[in-house]
Amino acid sequence: MADSITLNVNGQDHTVQADPDSMLLYALRNDLGLHGPKFGCGLGQCGACTVIIDGAATRSCVTPVSAVQGNKIVTLEGLGTIDSPHPLQQAFIDEQAAQCGYCINGMIMTAKAFLNENPDPSRDDIKQALNENLCRCGTHMRIVRAVERAAKGGQG
Amino acid sequence: MNTQPQDLHASKSSLSRRNFLKGSAGLVVAFTIVDPRMAFAAAGGDGVSVASPASSKLSAWLAINPDNTATLFTGKVETGTGVETALAQIAAEELEFPVDRLEVVMGTTSKTVDQGPTYGSMSVRYAGPQIRNAAAAARQALLDMAAEHFKLPAQQLVAREGTVSVIGAPANTISFGELVAGKQLDIDIEASGTGFGLQVAPKAPVKDPSTYAVIGQSVRRKDIPGKVTGQFTYIQDVKIDGMIHGRVVRPYGVGAELVSVDESGLKDIPGFVQVVRRGNFLGVVAETEWAAIQAAEKLGSTLHPEGPQSAQAKWGEWTGLPQQDEIWDTLRKTTGTNESVAAKGSVDMALPFAAKTIQATYQTPFQMHGSIGPSCAIADVRPDGATFWAGTQMPHQMRADMAKMLGLPEDRIEVIWHEASGAYGRNGLEHVIPDAALLSQAVGRPVRVQWMRWDEHGWEPKGPPIVQDLTGALDENGNVVAWRHHMWVPTTGDTRLVAVELAGLPEIGGEGTGNASITYAYNFDNADVACHGMGRVGLLTAWLRSPAQFETTYAMEAFIDELAAEAKQDPLTFRLKYLNDQRAIDVLRAAAEAYGWESRPSPAPQQDGKMATGRGIAWVNRDDVRVATIAEVTVDRESGEIRVKRVVVAHDCGLVVNPDGLRNQIEGNIIQSISRTLHEEVTFDTSRVTSLDWEGYPILRFEEIPDQIDMVFVNNRPEYPSYGGGEPSTCPTAAVISNAVYDAVGVRLRQTPFRPERVKAAMSQTG
Ligand code: FES
Ligand code: FES
Repeated sequence: MADSITLNVNGQDHTVQADPDSMLLYALRNDLGLHGPKFGCGLGQCGACTVIIDGAATRSCVTPVSAVQGNKIVTLEGLGTIDSPHPLQQAFIDEQAAQCGYCINGMIMTAKAFLNENPDPSRDDIKQALNENLCRCGTHMRIVRAVERAAKGGQG
Repeated sequence: MNTQPQDLHASKSSLSRRNFLKGSAGLVVAFTIVDPRMAFAAAGGDGVSVASPASSKLSAWLAINPDNTATLFTGKVETGTGVETALAQIAAEELEFPVDRLEVVMGTTSKTVDQGPTYGSMSVRYAGPQIRNAAAAARQALLDMAAEHFKLPAQQLVAREGTVSVIGAPANTISFGELVAGKQLDIDIEASGTGFGLQVAPKAPVKDPSTYAVIGQSVRRKDIPGKVTGQFTYIQDVKIDGMIHGRVVRPYGVGAELVSVDESGLKDIPGFVQVVRRGNFLGVVAETEWAAIQAAEKLGSTLHPEGPQSAQAKWGEWTGLPQQDEIWDTLRKTTGTNESVAAKGSVDMALPFAAKTIQATYQTPFQMHGSIGPSCAIADVRPDGATFWAGTQMPHQMRADMAKMLGLPEDRIEVIWHEASGAYGRNGLEHVIPDAALLSQAVGRPVRVQWMRWDEHGWEPKGPPIVQDLTGALDENGNVVAWRHHMWVPTTGDTRLVAVELAGLPEIGGEGTGNASITYAYNFDNADVACHGMGRVGLLTAWLRSPAQFETTYAMEAFIDELAAEAKQDPLTFRLKYLNDQRAIDVLRAAAEAYGWESRPSPAPQQDGKMATGRGIAWVNRDDVRVATIAEVTVDRESGEIRVKRVVVAHDCGLVVNPDGLRNQIEGNIIQSISRTLHEEVTFDTSRVTSLDWEGYPILRFEEIPDQIDMVFVNNRPEYPSYGGGEPSTCPTAAVISNAVYDAVGVRLRQTPFRPERVKAAMSQTG
């Protein structure tokens, strides 16, 4: 049955009516209209749905809404906008690091949480951090360069 | 809005302000945002046609808006390759307009001309000239208007950056927006033919390519800022008023009959609407996406259903697929067509005199597109019309297909296009459209369907398995005296629709026949290259990046390496000896130079230790694009693991429209084809596909990407036309890696994927 569930997303509280067992991804996309997080597999395997919850990169497709009431959820939209992109988003623009771009939400959100913990990573560290995120277009080289660029700018 | 008189068959040279005004009573509609509700109303029951604009009208291609922005309309679509930006550059170049103020509307059938589907690296090559000519005609029309305005001959005017100025009096300037003054460019520019063959504004005064200022620049892609901030609207993000959600429940076995559906418990799911059944087509509809997923799960839509009767939808036993490990024998036994690609001299007469004859068989499996975002579409089917929101690579074709399926005239159907997750050929994006249509038709409301991961992995059309037999013969001096290459290729263009087949509706699309996707360019005295083409074998198959040519290049370019090794000759020199194609020779030489290739035969001198390093080379001519690739790989002798460390690509697709865009494409092709070479194989039992997620169908991960991909563009010069760069650089990779592994450890890999177990097994056989 649907319950009233309060989610703190991008610094604001929102109340949604949702089955407590339903996954956070659907509440974000369909109830809150946040399209940064994407449905890729629904199985926790690809990373397209990644959001940051209390600082940790988390796969919203396998995270029930009831489990994250009271936690701080940040989506891609919470970082920056086209007019005022976050430095990490700007680094992806500068490196032209997207083809179809469907995976990029997961890349940026995973990298964001990673850079917060490791501000000065090696290239291998970055690859390691992104290793569970899949990209089918083969944009990997540019994604790594974008994360490197953001880290070098001290702007993870 | 007024309809226009159709008598304006003025050639561009006779266009005048009078003609222009006569035909420009309509107002400009700047389609900056495709508003779904607008389309909904337009295609409604009021008899309004949503047909495509006439290709002979300038307004079908371009609009100049009062704020001096412009809109390019193209039937081509973006698939992640950056073609939106490339086509905008071509238009901006000819129009003399700032590319950052030129917006592009793509695909939507009511707003764009059918320029053929978007596939096969053909957009820049074929749609490019169509857009170039339309834009040149527009520039000429604007100059003519300015001539009226300034009361001067057009020869004394110059168009630049979206304005027209008087030569020698730059203060006398008027912007395009002011000239057009909010009108539609209702000017006849002449057009003939359709699709790829469409000729637009044949008399338009196109620029001399040597003067290009926008083409050839690494203009930043228009879509990326939105994509990295979550503000971009993919097809998966589109929401329509009144839309509800559907999910499909596919048969357990590919050809299984639906026996019964037990609907108990479904009504307890809040928001559940109904089950839709039509023949073997089964789906559910619900008010929320989550409810649709729950309902579909009860009926059997799960990652690993236990059997045909294990869920509430019961399917009959069906075991009609071939055995996976016998698939290549199945191909040999399947009847089909025979096609000769090369027949020179007589291989049979040459063979008995050869000093050395070698034979090899190359086998490649079913592979999948594996888009990261499962396919999605929204359908709103009404009694007298239908609107679709779709990410298909062929919106105009899908409009025709849906007209057939729904029994509606084409001009009552609109396909509103939005970009999807990359599709690389033909994935589920076409098939999800009839899925949504059948569900919407049944419930009388707009229905959004997104496939689950297992629907995409299981039911997207695959790239087919291929088997190839090669025979090569050398004389005592190591010269090739005979070459035979026979390939067995199932269809790569089966365009029949899954839902139509399941529902038992009259066939739409066609099966197609596999053909020789190869450009044979060696000049051996005796050669026999032939293809045995067939229809569908087991699973539905359709275009997958460089359809079949990825596989045929693998066999051809690995086998010539086998002959070079047998002759103890350097593989590059060996190839060059048998090539006349100068562009092929040029890319091979360019790649060798960039790599620092040293002439020596393979394998490399014996290396000690756990890791061995090797280099490989191969090239392709795909649709007039020449690509030569060289890679350095390491082989871990203990684990059998292959890593591609360094890649050099020499690429000749003629004049490059956007160098960074092309580099992005080539990197993508290289990484995706390394993935296909090392990891990818669709698994199946006799009922169904069994590799239904990323564990069953692994793809390349960050840890495995090369350290470096270097590129050289060859013949990137104005005198060359722009061929497409979307996929040719996929082709050489499997051969390059196979050749490099042989160079490293002396083992020849003749079957993809080169997973560690297979590499280890091969090493232990020779070792
Ligand atoms: S969609 Fe969540 S991990 Fe793939
Ligand atoms: S850019 Fe398309 S999946 Fe990564």
